[in-house]
Amino acid sequence: MRVSELAEKTGLTSLNEHNDKQVEGVYISDMVSDIITGAKANGILVTLQTHKSLIAAANLVDVAAIVFVRGKKPADDVVELANKTGIGLFVTDMDTWSFATKLNEIGVK
Amino acid sequence: MSTCSHKWSMVNIRSGYLVVEGCRHCKARSSFFSTETVLPVDDYQDGEHYWTYLSSFQAVKFDLACDACGEVVNLDDMMGLMLSTCRNPDCEVARLATQGGRRTWVYVAFCADSTHATGKCVSAAGIQALTEYFNGNIKDPGKKVIVAPCIKCKSIDTCAGIVIADTGLTEIY
Repeated sequence: MRVSELAEKTGLTSLNEHNDKQVEGVYISDMVSDIITGAKANGILVTLQTHKSLIAAANLVDVAAIVFVRGKKPADDVVELANKTGIGLFVTDMDTWSFATKLNEIGVK
Repeated sequence: MSTCSHKWSMVNIRSGYLVVEGCRHCKARSSFFSTETVLPVDDYQDGEHYWTYLSSFQAVKFDLACDACGEVVNLDDMMGLMLSTCRNPDCEVARLATQGGRRTWVYVAFCADSTHATGKCVSAAGIQALTEYFNGNIKDPGKKVIVAPCIKCKSIDTCAGIVIADTGLTEIY
């Protein structure tokens, strides 16, 4: 499943132009130090974090897209950095558990 | 010299705190990784330095091991990583980014001693293994990561970048 299809099936709002990569997994974390040891290439990262260091960590491990839960929106400079990396940024009003459940329902694990 | 085409994996992943100290005397900064639940925050003298606690934040340390030959590269000397955004033409790290092109990302690996008074930084073996590890996991064709030791920064205090650190809410003091 590609990022765009996942976004459509889970009702995500896109925040930027991004590469429409094939999604190969999911990682949930709010710690950037944890992300570089746990997230995988072409994965979706689900988080509450909106700090710029999140993009630095996600880019290092080649994450495909980041989903901000509970309606959190990053600042413009964070979106700008994500645009340079090609990482997709999305927002949902769901909390982490509800969104993870939704991902599970559509077969993304 | 190894003839193995290494396939690196993270091993010995451990959670703790990165503690940053500053010398009141010479303004040097030093850092160490602690797995203690209560961190040492007292001032102390060590030779000519008078170390004072500056900050701490949650961090993760790891080593790299080759799945093929079993070689383990110890990364105890690496305290953190920073995505460089430096544009100073006099800075070697900035030049690496410029030479690499738009899809090359330079990450600076920090050692414990900002002064580099001993001439030491993150080991060459560590830098090479980190570079191979992160590039080996990238699936985006054309994208490349360069890991550079912080000794290559023109000035650690002024080198622009985004430190991968859990500051703020995760700071315990």
